[in-house]
Amino acid sequence: MTWLLRRGWMYASMLAVSAFSLFPVYWVLITSLKPRSEIYTRTPDLWPSDPQWHEYPRVLGEGHVGRALLNSLVVAGATTFVCLIVGAMAAYALTRFEIPFKRVLMMLVLMTQMFPLVVLVIPLFVIMRNADLLGTYAGLIVAYLAFTVPLAVWVMRGFLVGIPDELEHAARTDGATRLGAMWRVILPLAAPGLATTAVLCFLEGWKEFMLALTFMNEESRKTLPVVIQSFVGRGDTDWGAIMAASVIYTLPVVVVFVLLRRHLMQGTTAGAVKG
Amino acid sequence: MSHGAATVRARPDMGGPALAGVRRAVARLTLPVLLLLPALIIIVGLIGYPLARTIWLSFTETRLGDLIDGSGEWVGLENYGEIFADEHLRTSLINTVVFGSACVVGTMVFGFAVALLLNQRLRGNLLFSVAVLLPWAVPALAASAIWRWLFDDRYGFVNWALVNLGFSSFQDYAWFADRQSAYVAIFVTVVWQSFPFVALSLLAGLQTLPQETLHAAAVDGATAWQRFRLVTLPLLRPIVAVLVVFSTIWDFKIFDQIYVMAQGVPDRAADTAAVTAYRESFALGHYGTGSAIAVVLFAILLVFSILYVRLIGREGRA
Repeated sequence: MTWLLRRGWMYASMLAVSAFSLFPVYWVLITSLKPRSEIYTRTPDLWPSDPQWHEYPRVLGEGHVGRALLNSLVVAGATTFVCLIVGAMAAYALTRFEIPFKRVLMMLVLMTQMFPLVVLVIPLFVIMRNADLLGTYAGLIVAYLAFTVPLAVWVMRGFLVGIPDELEHAARTDGATRLGAMWRVILPLAAPGLATTAVLCFLEGWKEFMLALTFMNEESRKTLPVVIQSFVGRGDTDWGAIMAASVIYTLPVVVVFVLLRRHLMQGTTAGAVKG
Repeated sequence: MSHGAATVRARPDMGGPALAGVRRAVARLTLPVLLLLPALIIIVGLIGYPLARTIWLSFTETRLGDLIDGSGEWVGLENYGEIFADEHLRTSLINTVVFGSACVVGTMVFGFAVALLLNQRLRGNLLFSVAVLLPWAVPALAASAIWRWLFDDRYGFVNWALVNLGFSSFQDYAWFADRQSAYVAIFVTVVWQSFPFVALSLLAGLQTLPQETLHAAAVDGATAWQRFRLVTLPLLRPIVAVLVVFSTIWDFKIFDQIYVMAQGVPDRAADTAAVTAYRESFALGHYGTGSAIAVVLFAILLVFSILYVRLIGREGRA
């Protein structure tokens, strides 16, 4: 009896926490599938009686969400690409060479992750304006490097430290050049680290809102968070469209998270990233 | 003759050791420095310079026109004085500290409870952990839109559920019509998004605890609460400290949730420092004042960042 009481209480809590976690996501999904009359009602159904997919093609077409999806992919993708190269080079240098002030350097890298972006946004805006890069992919990508490169350096260093020096030495005594050893020995071993770093950098670029809001004024250049935000701000809010756009925006991230949760936990506890 | 040649040849060797040492050091550092250079340029150019520039701007009166050619007028500490004199600006800083701290406490308490629950390894634990993970994956902006919809006054699920549970005063309740209730909604949103990270980090900590110690405490007759308070909590202190500092940094600088959810609150009374700094600059054109608020926020977070780095450093050495 006491067992039942104790365990029962725990199972009830587990269900309650799961509901709190999952319900909002479920609600978004079904709102995006409901016809207007079922969205704007005082007595919402917990199950869409007649699920319809028409909201998705509609927002992807006329709602600029399709274009925004492409913009987000380009910006986050290019940011990730540059980050991986720059980050891998720096992390390699920091783990394989004696560099003066190495410790201070790493601490600085970590601290940049704590900065509120708002303290950088005005000068970054001026830089991009003077370089004529406002509203361009390049401008936003360069600005994103400000916070993704330190992240990449920190996370990748964590992975490279774990690869023993001896492997590289062995390759080099066997006649490989430093670059050859790096390419053929270190890189394959560092692949999980590279993948984790890539995912984390991509997500940073995918989620960033403030800089995108500031730089991308033209409708055709807005990224997904900016478009969703502009929907919410409107007078009569089209919740069906917002929820469909939110699903499109969130789904890729959820898939990545569920598939890679172990790696991400590893990367994040080392790299001090959240959300 | 041969003697003379020997002296001539010997001469470079005289200053040799030092010079060769420098040369060797340069040669040894060339490759690492070249490898580090792109990252350093990015960090200095895109973080160091903008940071210095914002600090400089905070001492000037700068409008949009001045911003581009950098011709703002030096006004000393005037902008900082304004933060404390102007009620809206002052309130936004107080909001940041009070609301941010509430979010930290809420996230830590709830996260800890969920971690303990996950650690019970009940049936269906794997599904449970995936469920807990999910909110973490939702981007802040999407989460804000989602919860804004759940808390909608007329068609929102929350009001519908509350009315059906018998709280009829929540019929059409406008959550975003004043600061307190808006903060309740935003608090729920922030905790929803941040508790998974805290819970999963603490779970990892719980799983490293020495089972014998906990078992011994149980054999000695300690209640569950005593075991938690006297064994679990002290052992987990390092990771709890890191998480508290980390959450503080995170919750003090939140922007997206406030920007989206607090925009309808009258007089923008629920804006926090990050949003006020942003709006003061880009919506009102007061780049000097906006920078000053950003710098104050930065200074507060710097204290916590140093704390964080020291905590991490200690863990790294251990």
